[in-house]
Amino acid sequence: MASKLLASNLRQTLARISTFSPLRSLSTAAATAPALATSVPETFEDPNEISIKGVRISGRPLYLDMQATSPVDPRVLDAMLPFYLSRFGNPHSRTHLYGWESDEAVETARAQVASLIGASPKEIVFTSGATESNNISVKGVLHFYRDKKRHVITTQTEHKCVLDSCRHLQQEGFEVTYLPVGSDGLVDLDKLRSAIRPDTGLVSIMTVNNEIGVIQPMEEIGKICKEFNIPFHTDAAQALGKIPIDVDKWNVSLMSLSGHKIYGPKGVGALYMRRRPRIRVEPQMNGGGQERGIRSGTVPTPLVVGMGAACELAKKEMEYDEKRITALQERLLNGIRAKLDGVVLNGSLERRYVGNVNLSFAYVEGESLLMGLKEVAVSSGSACTSASLEPSYVLRALGVDEDMAHTSIRFGIGRFTTEAEIDRAVELTVHQVEKLREMSPLYEMVKEGINLKEIQWSQH
Amino acid sequence: MASAAGATAPTRAEVLALFRSLLRTARRFSDYNIREYTKRRTIDAFRHNQNLSDAASVSTAYSDGKTQLEIAQRQAVVYQLYAPKIRSVMDIKPILRS
Repeated sequence: MASKLLASNLRQTLARISTFSPLRSLSTAAATAPALATSVPETFEDPNEISIKGVRISGRPLYLDMQATSPVDPRVLDAMLPFYLSRFGNPHSRTHLYGWESDEAVETARAQVASLIGASPKEIVFTSGATESNNISVKGVLHFYRDKKRHVITTQTEHKCVLDSCRHLQQEGFEVTYLPVGSDGLVDLDKLRSAIRPDTGLVSIMTVNNEIGVIQPMEEIGKICKEFNIPFHTDAAQALGKIPIDVDKWNVSLMSLSGHKIYGPKGVGALYMRRRPRIRVEPQMNGGGQERGIRSGTVPTPLVVGMGAACELAKKEMEYDEKRITALQERLLNGIRAKLDGVVLNGSLERRYVGNVNLSFAYVEGESLLMGLKEVAVSSGSACTSASLEPSYVLRALGVDEDMAHTSIRFGIGRFTTEAEIDRAVELTVHQVEKLREMSPLYEMVKEGINLKEIQWSQH
Repeated sequence: MASAAGATAPTRAEVLALFRSLLRTARRFSDYNIREYTKRRTIDAFRHNQNLSDAASVSTAYSDGKTQLEIAQRQAVVYQLYAPKIRSVMDIKPILRS
């Protein structure tokens, strides 16, 4: 295989050389090999430029998509690396040092995760990510209590994996209530209360929304669930390490957590399961009975250690990070608003996580704006749905107009974001929006004082 | 951290040397964001701790800083080993266009 590759490589390069010096002998590869090294035609290309997916990029874009994923903190990687090298043991091996040291590391990580959310280490189950945790929670609880409980309450703005699990339950004959949210993205507690039925088996409401960053009133929801004695599940993937979490204060029975949103590795998450009063689930994965039978399969020691380290770091750095991210958020908002009109922040203003700034730019087409911002890595919404041109279902649930939902951009600010990056992002965004508006006939009409909503668009 | 309890407080020169080593290590990170963060976090941490007076907390902070330095030194090497060919736009075009 290698020789084949080399041969085809040589042929290509030889062909290129031959155009420069047609007289050069092509008889033996050995004769031309030394010449190849010097004549690789890299000088024609800008070394700082790459072409990927048909887009020419002159440098790695500045990263403002922290809700999609975050970079691994070097301190986290430092904790993980030993477990990719000599300490490779299976944590479930009970007969030798390799197993013991891995097991000890996993238990330390369990304690680190538990301490960040105010839980006991015995209540933490490691999974492959928040999606798996959400699946276990929603489907597992209802399957376990299927004889008595036939109803689930959730919201329209949940993450896809919760909504899809609910849809799956519906196909099995369970009933699901999708609570609407207000224009600020928050659930109406009275609507939640009136949706509860005697056979309601679970309330699942996410803590921090992944697209718009609003923080739901967890304590109040927890109180309602306690009153009716219904298990309360929350997807806290976007909240972990960013806002203070206390499972007892919120009265949650199940909580989904993720590693890669908190500067940890991808492919690992955790599920908090309350012990008192005990919540039980039907496992999705059957096998060796690891993680108390909830999630069979070998626990990935390096990933789990990384998640533990990330949690400990998040606990230590939460205050510092929050202060900084708040300042950066203000810088971003003020910078954009100072130069542009018709910019709307989606979701509640007061109850939101500061690192998530979801903005809609009026009279601009969202995809064009994203394409124009190739030096800034941002997204129009969640990464899961960024492939489709449909406007976000979260924004539509908020009652955002179709045109404004199409132009949303989510700026995600994180631990490693700098002031210079924010300034650059502001400058590029303003430049691009102005350019697109200059071309837009709609914007011209608005400038002339025409109300777009009153226009009768005739069909041709 | 076990040594912190019994250890005597570090001298001013030792603290300054640690500070400078951390900044020097920060500069060795090939990644723009990690480099800036390490620099910023070092300065902010030392500023935050500059008024520590009792010996125990000074030596705790000092040994914590030492640990951070060791991590940074190891990770700067790792980052150099796998530095992407294309650098960050922030490194290539540090000056804003106007």
